[in-house]
Amino acid sequence: MLISVEVNGEVVTWDVDPRETLIDAIRERARLTGAHVGCRSASCGACTLSLDGLTVKSCCLLAAEADGRTIRTVEDGRTPPEVDDIQEAFIAAQGMQCGYCTPGMVMSVRHLLAQNPDPSDDEIRRGLAGNLCRCTGYVNILKAVRAVRDARLGR
Amino acid sequence: MTYVGASIPGRNNRRSAAGAATYVDDIRPDGCLVMAVVRSPHAHARIRSVDTSAGHDLDGVALVLTGEELRDAGIAIHPSGTNVNFTPRTAVRHVLAVDKVRYVGEPVAAVVARDYVTARAAAQAVLVAYETLPALGDARAALKPGAVLVEESWPDNVMVDYPIARGDADAVLAATPPSGRTSGTLVCNRVAATPLEGRGIIADYNPYDETMTCWASTQAPHVLRALLSAALSFPEGNLRVIQPQVGGAFGGKIPMFPEDVITAYASRRLGRPVKWIEQRDEYLSAGGHSRDMRCDYEVAFEPDGRITALKAGLLADVGAQSTFLGWLMAIVSAACMPGSYVVDHVSIRLRAVVSNRGPWQAYRGYGKEVAAFFMERILDDVARAAGLGRDAVRTRNFISPSHFPFVQPSGWVTDSGDYQGTLEAVQELIGWDDFPARQAAARADGRYLGIGIGHELTPEGSSRPDALLNGTDSATVKMTPRGDVTVLTGVTSPGSGNETGIAQIVAECLGADLDRVRVLQGDTQSAPHGNGNYSSRSLTFGGSSARLAALVIREKLEIVAGRMLNADRADLEVTGHRIRSRASGQSVTFDEVAAEIYRKPHGRHMAGIDPALEATRAFKIDNVYHRKDEDGRYNQYPTWSFSTGACIVEVTPETGDVRIEKFALVHDCGVVVNPLLAEAQLHGAIMQGIGASLYEEIVYDDDAIPQTPTLREYTLPGIRESVDIVLGHRSTPSPFTFMGMKGVGESGISAPGPAIASAIDDALADFGVRMTTMPFTPARVWAAIQTARSAGRGE
Repeated sequence: MLISVEVNGEVVTWDVDPRETLIDAIRERARLTGAHVGCRSASCGACTLSLDGLTVKSCCLLAAEADGRTIRTVEDGRTPPEVDDIQEAFIAAQGMQCGYCTPGMVMSVRHLLAQNPDPSDDEIRRGLAGNLCRCTGYVNILKAVRAVRDARLGR
Repeated sequence: MTYVGASIPGRNNRRSAAGAATYVDDIRPDGCLVMAVVRSPHAHARIRSVDTSAGHDLDGVALVLTGEELRDAGIAIHPSGTNVNFTPRTAVRHVLAVDKVRYVGEPVAAVVARDYVTARAAAQAVLVAYETLPALGDARAALKPGAVLVEESWPDNVMVDYPIARGDADAVLAATPPSGRTSGTLVCNRVAATPLEGRGIIADYNPYDETMTCWASTQAPHVLRALLSAALSFPEGNLRVIQPQVGGAFGGKIPMFPEDVITAYASRRLGRPVKWIEQRDEYLSAGGHSRDMRCDYEVAFEPDGRITALKAGLLADVGAQSTFLGWLMAIVSAACMPGSYVVDHVSIRLRAVVSNRGPWQAYRGYGKEVAAFFMERILDDVARAAGLGRDAVRTRNFISPSHFPFVQPSGWVTDSGDYQGTLEAVQELIGWDDFPARQAAARADGRYLGIGIGHELTPEGSSRPDALLNGTDSATVKMTPRGDVTVLTGVTSPGSGNETGIAQIVAECLGADLDRVRVLQGDTQSAPHGNGNYSSRSLTFGGSSARLAALVIREKLEIVAGRMLNADRADLEVTGHRIRSRASGQSVTFDEVAAEIYRKPHGRHMAGIDPALEATRAFKIDNVYHRKDEDGRYNQYPTWSFSTGACIVEVTPETGDVRIEKFALVHDCGVVVNPLLAEAQLHGAIMQGIGASLYEEIVYDDDAIPQTPTLREYTLPGIRESVDIVLGHRSTPSPFTFMGMKGVGESGISAPGPAIASAIDDALADFGVRMTTMPFTPARVWAAIQTARSAGRGE
């Protein structure tokens, strides 16, 4: 079936299989491989994308459901090797090891800080509750988010 | 410039953060097909027939493979390798089941199609007729007389029966009065490493030059190449294995898996690239589990807490066997008891039993975490029975620093340690002495706080005889004509950051500028032979090999520079990519010396010098003994890191919920090369230890049907479960490695289990609760409280 989606500012038309998930369409058709498949059960958050401004787990959405909607991925708006301040904070704090969860984490942090520029630790935990990391124990992820929050607030 | 000891973020962080890292599923060779595996829904059944026609007929399907085809093609995995001290029962392994299936998730057939949805649809269309057999739900069922046999060529279901003895534990126990004895049963839950990226491989056979290139999410490209070559009878030299970025491994990607062989076979048959990417439900049933051991123990002790005898029966449910070797973890558990403690009379008997659960696969801890859980719980039991402090009993029984190297009852040799040092340091960090007052105040408020400790021993650098994971590794260091340094290493990084640590070591040893040292790994075509990543050995072996190679280059640079500067070598100072004569103050850069060597091999500074600026060296570690028949010694772990963990928990008796308020760990891995990365490893290991203690359990029912097929049931800790982790470092350098490095990576995963159990017991002391079965879920804690209440204990 034909769908039309806006991906990172570009409108594209895809002829998708009705069984195809959004994450597979983004990875295979748009060739944007920053988002990953970790579970296909909306448990791990490695596939987190922004759909019409809300973070979604794209492994449990069908590509067809994105028809007519706007998608933002971790790659959005930056020319390699540019990264944003959230990503810089993750790099400096060693807020990652294998990197598999990192793009999804970054998407959730972007959303969290857009909604709440000054989150407490508990609010950060709630904001990232849908993103699993198996490597870091979350210690340096928390450090990274606190660092970018404080830097943005001039603290 | 001093690089060793500097906290430098991982070199791959930027591409990872950008989402620009390339994992195996991000690679798409032209014309690549996708493979899906048909798996057994039964725990134990005969295969009556496999009807592939409906799968074949679907549009877009290129190939359907069955066990019969692979067997007829001569593909079977034969057991190999030598085991010292015990003899396992073995059997030939088929990568696709032949005649019968032995666990849920066992590969039965494979479908290759144009894309993922087509392959999955075709896999569902393959019809397998089964005749179910009685299934063995666990090791105890497997041990019952008359139990059905998982391996029909064996007389029973026991794979390994391994006794360890020192002194006469039975006699000492018999001679000890009841007041000086205690006994119990401990159970360690089955868990799965669960890296966020599943397993996966792409095989690309080129029929023109008969070569095959594989990209695999593996920990050991060279080892996978050797094993695949043997399995497929494919020339090893024509096979190239590349490890792209790996999304976590934790032992779970040590080769070789059945799917690796099937994928490579399919590519060779089709002459096209074939990709297999594991899905999470496949992983949780068939990717391999660990732990799943119980321990029935009896100990005798003196009134002062000294343990005089330990008798332990260990029962490991290693599940049905596959092509991978996780069952060896049970051996490590047994051989690491009593571990940190001196016990003169020891009798341990391990039975590793096959059942219709899934096979074991290596996981961080590799059996040491099971030994730590059992020993630490036993120490707590002795403290309780003797009426002594938990810390005092440990102090009383620790191997003292002057007794190293210490020979364990298993014969393994523990190199060095100061266990009392980490214990005291962690007590300080957690606030041990002040806690009772806090606990009493909280109790008066109706809150249940507890404190616990757990000590862990983490032998590292596993070096098995007659195996490719064997106590050495190699590295090449080379310098380009313009003075840049390339390091090719046989160790690989699944995200641990060893590429950064190895660069630090080489820059330091060579006197190079760190920014001009590039580390390449993970490709059999460029890296020298290496065993990859396992047993926290990437720096002790990979770093040490790279150092040896760097020193060869440095020597040549110094000789030529000395001639260029008209100076003695002893007069030279090498730092910051520059060699300087102290006497004259004159200097040359590495770039200038490299140019001299490459451009003027027949020039006046090069007389008698081989112009190669490239060296490969293999570090072979000491303290490994493999010739028991000659010298009576066997040791496979050259260095033994250790830590003591401590935690404070709060338990809610109404729900059984356990909340960790603070977790402290004091760790000793000798000299630390990169504290930032070492601590990051510890954070992750501790969290995995906490996960296995409170949240994670692979559950089977009595018919060996998995009850935890997705991450909805197998619950990994999320950021809401993360805890305040406080780390402390001590350093007892290894006498056997460069600078005294030991391994870091596994350390920290073992201490949480016993420390949390100890803290829960302490919180619920009124109830006399003793947590003996991991994980300590709300249901288990609540049930223990109810049992205590019905026995009249508690408030």
